[in-house]
Amino acid sequence: MKIVVCVKQVPDTWAEKKLDASKTLDRVSVDNILNEMDEFALEEALQMIAAHSGTVTVLSMGPDSATEAIRKALSMGADGAIHIVDDALKGSCAAVTSLVLAKALERIGDYDLVISGSEASDARTSVVPAMLAERLGIPQVTFVNKVEVDPAAKTLKANRITDDGYQVVEASLPAMISAVEKMNEPRYPSFKGIMAAKKKPVETLSIADLGLEADAVGLSGSWTKVNDSADRPPRSAGTIVEDEGNGGAALVDFLASKKFV
Amino acid sequence: MNETSSIVALPLVESDEERAIRDAVRTCALRYGHDRFIDAARRGESPTELWDSLAAGGYLGVNIPEAYGGGGLGLRELCMVSEELAAAGCPLLLLLVSPAIAGTILTRHGSPIQRERWLPGIGAGTSKIVFAITEADAGSNTHRIATTARRDGEDWVLNGAKTFISGVNEADAVLVVARSGASAPGAPGQLSLFLVDAGAPGLQRTVIPTALDAPELQFTLFFDNVRVPGDRLVGAEGDGLRIGFDGLNPERLIAASICTGTGRYALERACTYARERQVWSAPIGSHQGIAHPLAEAKMALELARHTMQRAAALHDAGLPAGEACNMAKFAAAEAGMKCVDQAIQTHGGNGIALEYGLTSLWWTVRLMAIAPVSREMILNYVAEHSLGLPRSY
Repeated sequence: MKIVVCVKQVPDTWAEKKLDASKTLDRVSVDNILNEMDEFALEEALQMIAAHSGTVTVLSMGPDSATEAIRKALSMGADGAIHIVDDALKGSCAAVTSLVLAKALERIGDYDLVISGSEASDARTSVVPAMLAERLGIPQVTFVNKVEVDPAAKTLKANRITDDGYQVVEASLPAMISAVEKMNEPRYPSFKGIMAAKKKPVETLSIADLGLEADAVGLSGSWTKVNDSADRPPRSAGTIVEDEGNGGAALVDFLASKKFV
Repeated sequence: MNETSSIVALPLVESDEERAIRDAVRTCALRYGHDRFIDAARRGESPTELWDSLAAGGYLGVNIPEAYGGGGLGLRELCMVSEELAAAGCPLLLLLVSPAIAGTILTRHGSPIQRERWLPGIGAGTSKIVFAITEADAGSNTHRIATTARRDGEDWVLNGAKTFISGVNEADAVLVVARSGASAPGAPGQLSLFLVDAGAPGLQRTVIPTALDAPELQFTLFFDNVRVPGDRLVGAEGDGLRIGFDGLNPERLIAASICTGTGRYALERACTYARERQVWSAPIGSHQGIAHPLAEAKMALELARHTMQRAAALHDAGLPAGEACNMAKFAAAEAGMKCVDQAIQTHGGNGIALEYGLTSLWWTVRLMAIAPVSREMILNYVAEHSLGLPRSY
C-alpha cells in the first residue's frame, strides 16, 4: 500500500495563540508541535503498513520550521516526506490549502490512501480533508475512529463518528479518511527511529514546482479573509448554588436554563 | 584519542535528535504518570509498563555500544533520559545501577563472553544488574570491605554482607565488590568484582524499610558460601577497586540527573501553583517572598545542569572526570533539594498533602546528598584533590 499522511505543524496545544500584523496566526513566538490529531492519522497508517506492507509518505505544507514536525513523523516511522514550503503560502485559507495539497498528491500519484487528522488544533476548520478529497475526486470518509483496509480488493470499511453514534461506511481505494482522537494510541518515537529520521528523504517543493502561481495561494489567493479579531473575553464568575435543602432542584434548574438537561 | 580529547567540546544547544529523545522519553513518562508511579512504589510494585515501553523504544541502553544492540552514545544521553523521567515525576534509580554502572564496567572491562552475555540484555532492558559495594562496617571507606571471595577450584566462594543495595528485587544479577586477596582489611589492591546471580544459592536478602517512595527497594545482602563460577570474575583478580571506579562516575552522573530532573518537576509544579493561587489581591507568585526563592532555585538548578553536562562530556571522552562528576552530583543534589523544598514551601499546607505530589520525591533528592557518595566525602575530595589541602581523615 502507498499511504500519504497529511500533517501540520501547529502552536503547542496549551500555548496562547495570537494573530500577527497580517492577521494570520503567529507561528514564530510560540513552541510548535506536530498537530496531535495527525499523530492518530500517522499511527493508523503505520499500523496498516505493518499489517499489509507498503510505504508511508508524510505530506506537509508550512514554513521552514515545519521541518521539526516532519522529523517527528519520520522518527515515528514514516518512510519519507514532502514539504511544501514557499513564502507565498502564508495566510492560505482551507480552500487554498486543499488546492496545494491536491497538487502535491497528483504529483505523488498512485496512492492508495490519504489520511489526515480530522482537524488542526490551531484553525480547527475540519474542512481540509473533505475539500482535498473533492479536489482529488476520491471517496472521503471523515471523522473515522476505526478503519480496516483490504488492499487486494481495494476497499476500506470505516466507522464514522456522528453526533448520534457512528456510521459504518465502505469506500473504494484510493480514498481519503480523516482520523479522530483516540482512534489508536500514537507511538512515541523510538531512539533508533529518531537517529534514522535525519537520513530519510525529505523532498522540498515550492508552489512553482506544483505549477501554481503566487497569487493563487496565500492571503491573495484565499477565499476567506480575517477582517478583525478580538481576544476571548475573560471567563465570567460562575453561579453559586447554595444548598439549603433544595440544592438538587436548584442545580437542575440551572442546568435546564442552560439547556444542558 | 589524545587528539580527539583535546577538543572535547560541550554543546550549548542540544541537537534536534537530542531534543527528540527528551521529548519521546517525556511523552512516555507523562503517559505513565507520577501518580501511578508513586502508587506502584507504595504498593511495592515495579512500574513494569513504564520500564517496558522505555525498553521498547531503546531508551534504556542509549550508552551501550551499538555492537551489543545499544544506542552507541554515552552518559550525556543517558543523563537526558534519566533527567526527563525525573522531570515527569518518574525517576528510575535502576538506570543508575544497571546501564550506568554495570553497563559501563562491563563495556570497559568485561571479557568478550561477558559482554556478549550481559550487554544486549542491559541495553534492551531485559536484564537488570545492580551493584553491591557498601558494607555496614565500611561505609564510605571501601578499603574496609570485608566480604571475601575465596578460590575453590575453578570457582569462587563469597562470604559476607552488603547493605543499602538498591533494586535487588528487580535484578537478574548483582555486581559484587569483594576482597579476593589474603591480606588483612585495609590493604589496597585486593578487591575483585564478581557477577553473582540474584538467585544464587546462599545469597539471602532482607528489605531495609526506608522513607523512599521508589520502586527500587533497599536491601541488606548476606553471602553464605555463595559459589560463583570462575568466568564471573570481571576484569583481573585484585583489580576490582580500579575497575569499580569506572562505574562510579556514571553513577554520580545519573544521580545528578535524577536530582536535576526532580528539580525541574518541582519548580514546574511550584510555578504553576504560584501563578494560580490567590488569597489576597494577586497571585502569590507576584510576591517576591515567593518568587525570589524560586528564581534562586532555578539558577542553582541550571548551574547544576551545566556542571553535570560538562562532567558527562569529560566522561564520554574518556578523560579524567572524577572531580567533575563529584561536583556535578554535589551541585545537583543541593539544587534538587532546594527546588523540592521551595516547591513544598510555595504550596503552603498543600505542599505536604499527598495529592500535590511533592513529598513523594523529597526523599529521592534527599537521598542523593548521602548516596552514592556523601556531601561530606565530596567536600573532602575537593579540599584534598582540587585545592591541595591536607587530607583530613
